[in-house]
Amino acid sequence: MEYIDAANLKSIELNKEIINKLKQCGEVTIQNPHSMHNVATGLPDPGKVIIQGSTGFYTGGFMEGTTLLVEGNVGWYAGDNMMDGELVISKNTGCNAGTYIYGGNIVVYGNTGSRVGYGMKGGTIIVCGSAGPWAGQMTLGGKLIILGKVGSKVGESMYKGAIFVRDPEAGDKMGSNVFLDSIKADEEQELKSLFARYDITADPAEFKVIRPMQTGRHTYVLFDPDLKPELSRKMPV
Amino acid sequence: MSNEKKKDFEPKDIQHGIWNKETISEIDYKAQYGQHRIRGCGATRYMPTFNDIMILPSQLSRLSLDTYRESCETKTILGKRGASKPLEIETPIMIAGMSYGALSKEAKIALAKATALTGTVISNGEGGLLPEERQYSYRQSIQILPSRFGFSKRSLEAADMLEFLVGIGAKPGLSGHLMGSKISEEIAETRQLPVGIDLHSHPRHGDAFGADDMVVKMEQLRELTNGEVPIFAKIAAGRVRDDVKIAVKVGADGIILDGAQGGTGAAPVMATNHLGIPTMPALVQAVRTLEEMGMKNEISIIVSGGITDGSDLAKALAIGADAVAIGTGAMVAMGCRVCLRCHNGKCAFGIGTQDPELRQRLDIEEAAERVANYIKAMTAEAVLLAKAAGKTKLRNLEREDLRTLTLEACAMTGIPLVGSNFVFGERFGFEC
Repeated sequence: MEYIDAANLKSIELNKEIINKLKQCGEVTIQNPHSMHNVATGLPDPGKVIIQGSTGFYTGGFMEGTTLLVEGNVGWYAGDNMMDGELVISKNTGCNAGTYIYGGNIVVYGNTGSRVGYGMKGGTIIVCGSAGPWAGQMTLGGKLIILGKVGSKVGESMYKGAIFVRDPEAGDKMGSNVFLDSIKADEEQELKSLFARYDITADPAEFKVIRPMQTGRHTYVLFDPDLKPELSRKMPV
Repeated sequence: MSNEKKKDFEPKDIQHGIWNKETISEIDYKAQYGQHRIRGCGATRYMPTFNDIMILPSQLSRLSLDTYRESCETKTILGKRGASKPLEIETPIMIAGMSYGALSKEAKIALAKATALTGTVISNGEGGLLPEERQYSYRQSIQILPSRFGFSKRSLEAADMLEFLVGIGAKPGLSGHLMGSKISEEIAETRQLPVGIDLHSHPRHGDAFGADDMVVKMEQLRELTNGEVPIFAKIAAGRVRDDVKIAVKVGADGIILDGAQGGTGAAPVMATNHLGIPTMPALVQAVRTLEEMGMKNEISIIVSGGITDGSDLAKALAIGADAVAIGTGAMVAMGCRVCLRCHNGKCAFGIGTQDPELRQRLDIEEAAERVANYIKAMTAEAVLLAKAAGKTKLRNLEREDLRTLTLEACAMTGIPLVGSNFVFGERFGFEC
């Protein structure tokens, strides 16, 4: 195990140092990250990086194969555009965690902000706490699993992928162009193994799945207001 | 008076003013469908253009160059502010971002091959990078769009230049449209979309909400590209002064400024005709802003939207652009007749379609040669004008070489009216 003190490093210097250390021993611990942005950008190799403290924006962005454990909170855009690997966050994140990810796993043990998994194309995001509004908006693939409460407009205009929700009110908070479905047996199995892997206590059978409509046309608020003159005619003078 | 006679006085030959065929067609469409119309190409309404500017030839006060025997350099370097490998192209004309999806595979390959024949750069547009495009292009620009269809770390690795796209001139503030007729199985696979769905993507980046975030995002992109690749901000012309200042603050190496005449594969008519400001005044405002900031020599400007010939190029460079981008013009060179129906996916020329039979109509080699010829001829036209103005380098054209033809252009650009030294409005560096 190697250690890096990030207190006096710029993010680009820190990331170079991480890559060097990972090549040497495969496991490195970062101390004093002081909520630095762009930590672990594009890490290309397998290995384990532990960050003792909180990080800022774009933590683990474009990462490809590394396991990154953050012992703290993470700012906006955690793991953005991640290609592969693992980003495991012990506390909470800001908005847009897992935006545009292609692959890999992101696990948030706390809560997350709005638009988690925005435009994700693959991979898996697990939020053990609650998620803000617009979760999984316009997803193109992958699995978003939310154990706690979901915000409004969950799954808005998703094209592909699946959002697994346990919030009993999720059906009333969905965005447009999605529907609430039952979980399938193979999905239950997949969730079970993910929960075991990340030491999460939850019963997959309790989850429902938000899936995209495949009608060929999405409906949009662009066509609001839906003018209904017949109603106004009936109004008392 | 008899009824026969009265017929002679009916208003049959009178100009219809605002009630022209286009107005009536638009109302008919809305009356039929209860929705706004979406169509291809750009604005069809009148807007001021570079045609409202004249170039002053050298006579006794300047020496001209021999058009046929003396050289004028066209080599162009873009994005040298922060990138260790700025983009070097042979002519200041790039192929604008037009997606694989909006265009056929054949059209994209032809455009890429045209860049190899002329030594310039092509932008991939929305929807990922077609492998053949990268294979055949001379230099490759990669757009980073809010939708990120087909975009990954691999895209960054393929880039000679990056464009962080905020908006396009044809529909600024709106997102991408790709109608279901064009989402074939192949396009659906590239973009990870269901086949045949009408696509309306999102206008804001999911990983950069504002200028402060973009500063950090830019550092991330720099790190991922080892600081080598020039990064441009592509913006639609609107609040140009503010947007340019922000692009500079964010750390961009250059700005691609897309005026309201810019085209697209599908957009609401409302957006193409009524959003944004025209290319010419937008460019002036961008140049003015960079000069005020003392950044003109550091930040490259590529201007697009309604660029048709070498005179547009020469005038844009004289105003302060470093290069222009052509989109519709390049499509016309391949055979497009600007029928405005790109959105329906039935392009008769095999350019704006995914229909396998229609695609066969486009001969890739011939189309590539025609686009290359167009770029060469456009370059030669600009060179002809530059030499007549006494320039040994195309980039040496300057605003002092220009005069405006109309009061409108004069007031917009701050360039004096022809035959005078008077400027109506904000001056653009001209002394009385």
